[in-house]
Amino acid sequence: MEEQKQQNIQQKKSVKQTLFEIYDKKYKLLLIIPFLILFLALMQISYQIYSTGDFIKKDVSLKGGVTVTVPYERDIDIIQIEKQVSSKFPSNDVAVRTLRSVGTVVGFIVEADIDGNDKAQVQNLLNAIESSLKVDLSKVNYGIEIIGSSLGASFFRESLIALAVAFLFMGLVVLIYFRTFVPSIAIILAAFSDMVVALAVMNLLDARIGTAGIAAFLMLIGYSVDTDILLTVRVLKRKEGTVMDRIVSSIKTGMTMTLTAIISTLVALLVTQSEVIRQIMLILLIGLIADIFNTWIQNVGLLRIYVERKAKKGIIL
Amino acid sequence: MNYKIKKLITNWRVILLAAFIIFSLIAIHPTLSEGIAIRNVITNSSASIAGIPQPKPNVQPVARERIISINNKPINDVEDYYKYISDLAPNRTIQIKTTKGIYKLTTKEQFETIELNETEEKLIEEVVQRNVTINGTIQLINETITKKITVPKTIRISKGTEDIGLRVYEAPKTNIRKGLDLQGGTRVLLQPETKLSPFDVGILIDNMKERLNVYGLSDIVIRDANDLTGNQYIIVEIAGATEEEIKDLLARQGKFEAKVGNKTVFRGGNDIVYVARSANEAGIDPSAGCSASGPQWFCRFRFSITLSQEAAQRQADATKDLTVLYDQVSGRSDYLSEPLELYLDDKKVDELNIGADLKGQAVTQIAISGSGAGANNQEAIFNSLQNMKRLQTILITGSLPVKLNIVKTDAISPVLGEGFVKNAILMSLLAIVSVAIVVGIRYWKLIIAIPILITMLSEVIILLGVAAFIGWNIDLAAIAGILVAIGTGVDDQIVITDETLKGQTASVYNWKEKVKRAFVIIMLAYATVVVAMIPLIFAGAGLLKGFAITTIIGVTIGVFVTRPAYSSFVEIMMK
Repeated sequence: MEEQKQQNIQQKKSVKQTLFEIYDKKYKLLLIIPFLILFLALMQISYQIYSTGDFIKKDVSLKGGVTVTVPYERDIDIIQIEKQVSSKFPSNDVAVRTLRSVGTVVGFIVEADIDGNDKAQVQNLLNAIESSLKVDLSKVNYGIEIIGSSLGASFFRESLIALAVAFLFMGLVVLIYFRTFVPSIAIILAAFSDMVVALAVMNLLDARIGTAGIAAFLMLIGYSVDTDILLTVRVLKRKEGTVMDRIVSSIKTGMTMTLTAIISTLVALLVTQSEVIRQIMLILLIGLIADIFNTWIQNVGLLRIYVERKAKKGIIL
Repeated sequence: MNYKIKKLITNWRVILLAAFIIFSLIAIHPTLSEGIAIRNVITNSSASIAGIPQPKPNVQPVARERIISINNKPINDVEDYYKYISDLAPNRTIQIKTTKGIYKLTTKEQFETIELNETEEKLIEEVVQRNVTINGTIQLINETITKKITVPKTIRISKGTEDIGLRVYEAPKTNIRKGLDLQGGTRVLLQPETKLSPFDVGILIDNMKERLNVYGLSDIVIRDANDLTGNQYIIVEIAGATEEEIKDLLARQGKFEAKVGNKTVFRGGNDIVYVARSANEAGIDPSAGCSASGPQWFCRFRFSITLSQEAAQRQADATKDLTVLYDQVSGRSDYLSEPLELYLDDKKVDELNIGADLKGQAVTQIAISGSGAGANNQEAIFNSLQNMKRLQTILITGSLPVKLNIVKTDAISPVLGEGFVKNAILMSLLAIVSVAIVVGIRYWKLIIAIPILITMLSEVIILLGVAAFIGWNIDLAAIAGILVAIGTGVDDQIVITDETLKGQTASVYNWKEKVKRAFVIIMLAYATVVVAMIPLIFAGAGLLKGFAITTIIGVTIGVFVTRPAYSSFVEIMMK
């Protein structure tokens, strides 16, 4: 009995040890995982472009259209309502979502890419909602948001520019500080992979992305770079212990950082009833999970290859 | 332990953090204020006649005038107010007690005038001035004559009591200004049809503000926004207004007319070629200056406008039959008998005396003057210039024939907004608590988890304090920004903790060195977040500007105030 326990502990230890050994020795092989994920994500995005013409599923804030938010505290059959409303707008894209707060329904949102300047169309939409829900909208204090289609398109263009510039600036800051090509590129690549993976997963979930989502991708740059910077500073600028010791200490710190972020985005995602916050938190959550692979396998792998090459040239870090 | 506490409260970084928190709490100014606050006073309503002032837009929310009771009946919420007001009979005097004073209002009866399809004759009295030769000298005599005119027959129907003209809302409990999506209201994004220079955009915004002020709306934000591709936008936000109200206001042409007697002399737009606005062409009238009269000071301002030839001719025609008024007090004959009246969208907004030398003259360059009063010289100057600016703005209205297209409207019902606030607070608190739990499990030390929790909470307080201080609106995007700032803050605290605690065993470095090493990572991460947010300030009509700026302010406060305090705390407690 006692012996068996001892053995179990030893076995457990050895599993942990083997894993660590794989992580320590086979880091080049492990690089396949993040690059495969990156490749699949890029494939998904290409497919998305091929099938829909756009690399994301835009919501009305980027496409132009009308969003109606109705407070309604009963569970409704969304699919049914979506069908009923869509049937009145056969050539438009109509989406209905429930607004939830801590699990209970507090209202719902109807999005349609109709021309917001066309008063008759907007009224038709409101009528369709009224008839399919059997509510008198004038009595429930609904909210309505109208975005012109040209503005939607310009928002989209603008957001992409902002994102590209932000990414460029971030890369410059990293390059200026580290002044070495490979480690800097590894950091930038990790941030890029986080964003690409988050985008692909959003597409797979068939989730719409709007201006709030663009903000989320910007936030993702900040969060994902945090851990990469921590890792690179510790490996390249510190002298104590072996390179592996420094990586392990970085994982301890970095995983705590990522875990706190994941937990808090998860909580926010479950609690919020705002579509803006929900979209931001979902993108952040996916990106942060991707960041675990991209920092601790991809970035670590590339950094170790760099350190090894330096060692061959006689420079020991 | 005592020694450590003493060291902690004398540490300048900790003192700095405490100072920031105290300052923020003062700025947020949480109160238990009851009652309802006045948002707007409608022009020419009973309330405005009784002297209830229009709230100034830059007044801090908790300092707003609040209604305490009506006819000694306490008014506790908006519902109480509307219930009481709807039961009022016309022509009654009511007493409204507010935090600033007591006002006596007389309710007005509302009539609807219906024009019938028949006419009637009416006698009216008119005062005319005539030059009469008495004893060989020419004198000006006022004569009252009775005229008979034909007017369409009308009947007036009472429609009950007219609204007393107050727009109210639940009294704010703090100085934190809630954004539109949190308090309900309407936001309209407008795009000028043609490209305007920054100077013209400034004038356009002044015009719109002036116009909306004429209609008694004060809780308005009008700002311009550009995007990266050079599109121009004007953002109008009105809290508590409905979409229809805003659209209606913006649809009005801002029709400006100047009348003499009942004749329109010139209109805004084509008739006014130029309005002098530069410092040497417009300002306090040097020949009149300022003077004290009793306890009050008065100043005169003047500026010139240029009329088109046709408008000048109309002015000549309208003034040629007027008489020169003799002022008994000053013994001078400065002005003509009829003033120049300025109308904006058929509402009289000002009245100017016409200089006697302009009678019958087709001059294109005319000087417009007016005055302002104040308790002292400086205040009088300030008010005069304020009045001048207002007048100039009105005169230019319409002289910018740019059509504004509505490209986006958001109407958020206050009910949804209220839910969002409660939900956002709940969400933030739960997120903070969950972070504290994760950190607590990781370090298994309360002395680390509690300070991290305190740091997060103090960052929220300081950010809200800064927002209250600079009058920044907290909307959903800003809340997202606060969450990012706190999130990166937690990351940094974990770095500080690990960098400093790690060295406890292998004390290769001293504390200063360890903290310095932590801050290398923190500053680098800080720089990347800030540069990533900068493009967002300028992109997409500035709709995500709130998010970007809140994030930047938040991480900046974190890096320079809260994190140094946290590192000092760890240093003192762990050493």
